[in-house]
Amino acid sequence: MPYSRNRDYFGFIARMVPGTTTFLFTLLSLLPFHVPSFGSIAPSFALMAVFHWTVYRPDLLPLGVVFFAGLLLDLLNGTPYVGLSALALLLVRTGVLSQRRLFSHRPFSVLWLGFFGAAAGAFALEWAFVSLMQVQLMVPRPFIFQTLVTAACFPIGSYILALAHRAMPALSA
Amino acid sequence: MRVSAPVRATVQRLTLPFLIFISALLAVLGKADVLLFDRVRVVLADAFAPALQVAGEPIVSVSKAIGAVEDVVTVYRQNQELKLENQRLLQWQQVARRVESENEELRNLAKFAPQGAVSSVAAQVIADSGGAFLRNVLVNVGGNEGVTRGQPALTGDGLVGRVIELGDRTARILLLTDINSRIPVVVEGTHERAMLDGDNSDQPRLVYFQPKTPVKPGDRIVTSGSGGIFPPDLPVGVVASVNGVIRVEPYADLARLEMVRIVNYGLDGVLPDNAIPAPHARRGPHARAAAPR
Repeated sequence: MPYSRNRDYFGFIARMVPGTTTFLFTLLSLLPFHVPSFGSIAPSFALMAVFHWTVYRPDLLPLGVVFFAGLLLDLLNGTPYVGLSALALLLVRTGVLSQRRLFSHRPFSVLWLGFFGAAAGAFALEWAFVSLMQVQLMVPRPFIFQTLVTAACFPIGSYILALAHRAMPALSA
Repeated sequence: MRVSAPVRATVQRLTLPFLIFISALLAVLGKADVLLFDRVRVVLADAFAPALQVAGEPIVSVSKAIGAVEDVVTVYRQNQELKLENQRLLQWQQVARRVESENEELRNLAKFAPQGAVSSVAAQVIADSGGAFLRNVLVNVGGNEGVTRGQPALTGDGLVGRVIELGDRTARILLLTDINSRIPVVVEGTHERAMLDGDNSDQPRLVYFQPKTPVKPGDRIVTSGSGGIFPPDLPVGVVASVNGVIRVEPYADLARLEMVRIVNYGLDGVLPDNAIPAPHARRGPHARAAAPR
């Protein structure tokens, strides 16, 4: 395990950073942004956090955290399908974990493209699931729009997460 | 992956399928057994309300700043528009004054008792569902402020939706654009009734609608009061398009809700909190006192 060495080096607080930021980003997904023509479609910050930490420190983002972050998101946003976000986040984590090598030591654009793929997959899953449960094809536009908005906001989220990531050694003292 | 103990390895291997299975199961069952989640959800919403409200403050400031910049940029055009609108409104004011006095006289004639709002409470939007398949908002008032399920939420412009979930400090409002929203409406000035059927798009559609006179874009849609959830004549929106599907543009700007008013009209047509009535609901001295003589 390449990161087990770091486990001793990293302090308790530093190891909490991925989980904590994931939960904070989950709450960020819920805040009302009253930006003109932004609509009611908010970028999924939770997805960014799960993607980021799965690429860089999957050892510090256990499955349980991903699951509960998704569950919290579902319970707070009032969806009738509690567990759907949890499912989407878990599948994104699994998918990204299997393709991690693609992203290491690559330029940011590759990471961004990867995130776009992950977001498209996650929202396609939600679209398919909701369509199935409502027994009618949902208008795909909001889902496509949400994918684009989420992907477009990824650099911002990624930058904040990278800052937190860089702060981790300092927190371990 | 390093294997420290066979059991541990097995547990680790099974965690992912197990969690995926649980999430999928919950998502499928959630629809069937909503009551289970309702309690958890309400408790969580109440617990997170202060955090969401504090976290939302900077965002409110930022959007206000953006709004201010926008205002500066468009101030000239806005001024022109406002002047025109003011002219128009002054004319309407005269009409309203005349109608008001006429109304007063007629009421006196008919001994008419107005059925107005009983009370209302202002609420701040603290969370937006933000999802592509959800149209609801969480507001910072709840049972403590006297809000009950089913009460309509309004802005100054028109109807927003109704309270579907209630905590002590929070309430969730199902917007009229949500796929699960159905509102009995009528084309204003006619008796053409219809259902306003949300489909998660910005413009809900009219269904169960067989008008004798065809509707046209610009026709006003108001609540009909059928079903006893909403009082009649709350402004809902205007007909936006009529080709094939009739779509309605809501008056309220649902994409940028900041404050709403939750109004108690004293109606109780909505279903009770759960389908099975509580066994002690009708007992006690109050029930007896209220019993018909």
